[in-house]
Amino acid sequence: MRALVLASAVLFKTALGAAAAPQPAAAGSTTVAPASAESVAAASADAADPPAESATTATRAHSGVLPVAAAVVPGLLVRGSGHFALRQPRTARNLLLMEGVGLGLFLGGGLTIVFTGASRYFVAPAATATMLGFGLFSTSYLADIYGTVSNDGAAALSRYRPPARWETELGYRRIEDPEFAYRDLLVERVSRQIGPLRLSPSGIFSTRGDTARYRIEGQYRLAGNVDDPRPRDVSFLDLTLGFVHQRHRPEHFSRSSTELALNGRYDFARLGPTLRGAFFELGAGYALARTDYDLAGIKVPADLEHVLLGRVGFGVTLRGASAPGSEAIVYYDHRHDDYVAGLKLRGIGSGVLGHFGVEARWFFTESVGLALDAQAGSAYLGGASLLFRSGASRPRVASMPPTETQP
Amino acid sequence: MKPRIALGTALFLALSCLRPSEERASADLEVGQAQQGVLSVNVDDGLAAVRALDDNQLVLWGSAPSLSFELTASVDRQVRVDVQNCLPDAELQVLSGNADVTPLEDSGTPTRKSWRVALTAGTVQLGLAAPDTDDTEPFRFALLSDVQEAIDRVSDIYDRLNDVHDLRFVLGAGDLTSRGTREQLERFQTELLRLKIPYFATLGNHELGTHPDLFHEYFGRGNFHFRFHGVAFTLLDDASASIDATVYDWLDDWLAASRRDVHIVAMHIPPVDPIGVRNGSMASRNEADKLLARLAEGRVDMTLYGHVHSYYSFDNAGIPAFISGGGGAIPERFDRIGRHFMVFDVDAQNGVTARSVIKVD
Repeated sequence: MRALVLASAVLFKTALGAAAAPQPAAAGSTTVAPASAESVAAASADAADPPAESATTATRAHSGVLPVAAAVVPGLLVRGSGHFALRQPRTARNLLLMEGVGLGLFLGGGLTIVFTGASRYFVAPAATATMLGFGLFSTSYLADIYGTVSNDGAAALSRYRPPARWETELGYRRIEDPEFAYRDLLVERVSRQIGPLRLSPSGIFSTRGDTARYRIEGQYRLAGNVDDPRPRDVSFLDLTLGFVHQRHRPEHFSRSSTELALNGRYDFARLGPTLRGAFFELGAGYALARTDYDLAGIKVPADLEHVLLGRVGFGVTLRGASAPGSEAIVYYDHRHDDYVAGLKLRGIGSGVLGHFGVEARWFFTESVGLALDAQAGSAYLGGASLLFRSGASRPRVASMPPTETQP
Repeated sequence: MKPRIALGTALFLALSCLRPSEERASADLEVGQAQQGVLSVNVDDGLAAVRALDDNQLVLWGSAPSLSFELTASVDRQVRVDVQNCLPDAELQVLSGNADVTPLEDSGTPTRKSWRVALTAGTVQLGLAAPDTDDTEPFRFALLSDVQEAIDRVSDIYDRLNDVHDLRFVLGAGDLTSRGTREQLERFQTELLRLKIPYFATLGNHELGTHPDLFHEYFGRGNFHFRFHGVAFTLLDDASASIDATVYDWLDDWLAASRRDVHIVAMHIPPVDPIGVRNGSMASRNEADKLLARLAEGRVDMTLYGHVHSYYSFDNAGIPAFISGGGGAIPERFDRIGRHFMVFDVDAQNGVTARSVIKVD
């Protein structure tokens, strides 16, 4: 509990730190001040206790392999080991705290499930806490490694952008599922940002015509950037309302669900300047699903099911030749009702866990990009999509990347 | 492919496997077949595991109230046939071929019976069944699952089962043991000696803890189908939260053969958990819905599950469904159920006519 309180204090502190940071120019401005990425990061992470750690001093230590090795090996047990070696004690402590809170939530949720025998009255909050704990625990490890490897946080900052007003996706997915015959899927999606609201109808269609999934979701941004052309923080919190309909014609059933979820992203730069360009995602929600059966000559009543939604992920902003908005995320998704559902394992624990995946979005230009998608669970899925977007582009400025400064 | 990409891909794929029960489905096909010295045995439909076979003795573990098997001898032979886990009134008869069958002295265990079979060189077809097997009179059976680590206390459940009148057999929907070790399977078998009627079971996820292949060695197939008093029973192995693609072909045959009959299907993990947020169900809801659609199309009359350590009564795809995981494993708290088993009255004409939950504690 104490760890939870401490973690809350750190999160509030860093959030306030970010809020106190210099505000970016208004949307649409073409004369954006060349704000220092480092000053923002330092303000967010270290506002309360100067002198601040800086990415610049950390960068000097990057020449050695010790921080990376420390993050990888002892970091498995003690998060922040890499940042201690990097002489970033504050960031290291934040990561260690994150690990502790994650472990506490994971064990607290898991043990609640075990000792209540997965009681119907406790399982939903306990499973959510377990997922959140797993997310904090695992991403703190990845963040520690990231911070010791990444030395171009400023470049990451220069790739931040607001959501596109329009985005379309057209792609192909190959799926291997021994339980179903479909293999080739076409993916289509359109996304429209209207102020804080984002509407995204999408469809997945088997080339054989034996299955299709239609989804429309609305996301309302409760917090986070919508139209700032030069955001300095990628954190957000969205409320998502979604409707899904999935047809499986040869198997004579269809499944429809309504879901409500909170999906958030937390910019790791709030925990330390070396973590600029990395972020943590968390989503939790609930869906009510209905299965209808279509059997010739047999009238079968529909089944209703309550579904727990959850997702945790670790992502990085892509740099190099990529245009702003390029990023990659590795994630865990608790969904058991999609084409890729829960993990099937050889041992005792099959079925309980959801699936894992990797997503990457690489924009070659301001308008055109490529999305890669790989998932492993009850099926293996992989494929790519072409992305087109327009609107709310990042203005051209002379100050990319921002200059790193010493505190 | 670059080594880094190959390693990454391998790690990603190693997270899961798509057909974790494929080997067990293959093992099902081997159950009931053995050859040793001058004898070979082949149990029809794999409805018994061959526990021992030598030139003088055959030991079978039954998975069904009635079964038949071929016994082939290369020379004339006197063979002792022991059948464990059989109906107390089961009789061994020659169905075809040349042999003499003589019952041996009662072992004192109602579910273990022995016969002396005088074989002439060649093949003989033997059948094991109770005299009333093919009747269509109503009968009663029980469901008991999820004993796991409560094996030390299971004897009082067996005592309660023994007190139920006219019970012919017990169905087990998996999780007999906590880890599926040889010692635990031996212990479960030893404790079963107390039960006066046979226990026909499929496996649960806890049988996969250490040696997923041992269940077949001890208790036979994970997927099987039998009939008793005109009622069809199908037990499925979904211990890996999925049913292997091969087994769906077998299931289609069993459903087609029993479409006009009362048909009861049991498996360990419910396709869909009535408390959906718990995910005590199949790994894929789509697979669960596919399975339920097939069961509904096959006009299955009742589905029975374990896995969740409580009692639930609900419908899936319009089929009455019961979860009974009351064998003693860590119970679902606050459900006011505790250790229990279920008893069903079944009639080949009228289906399931009565059911009850018997609390043990």
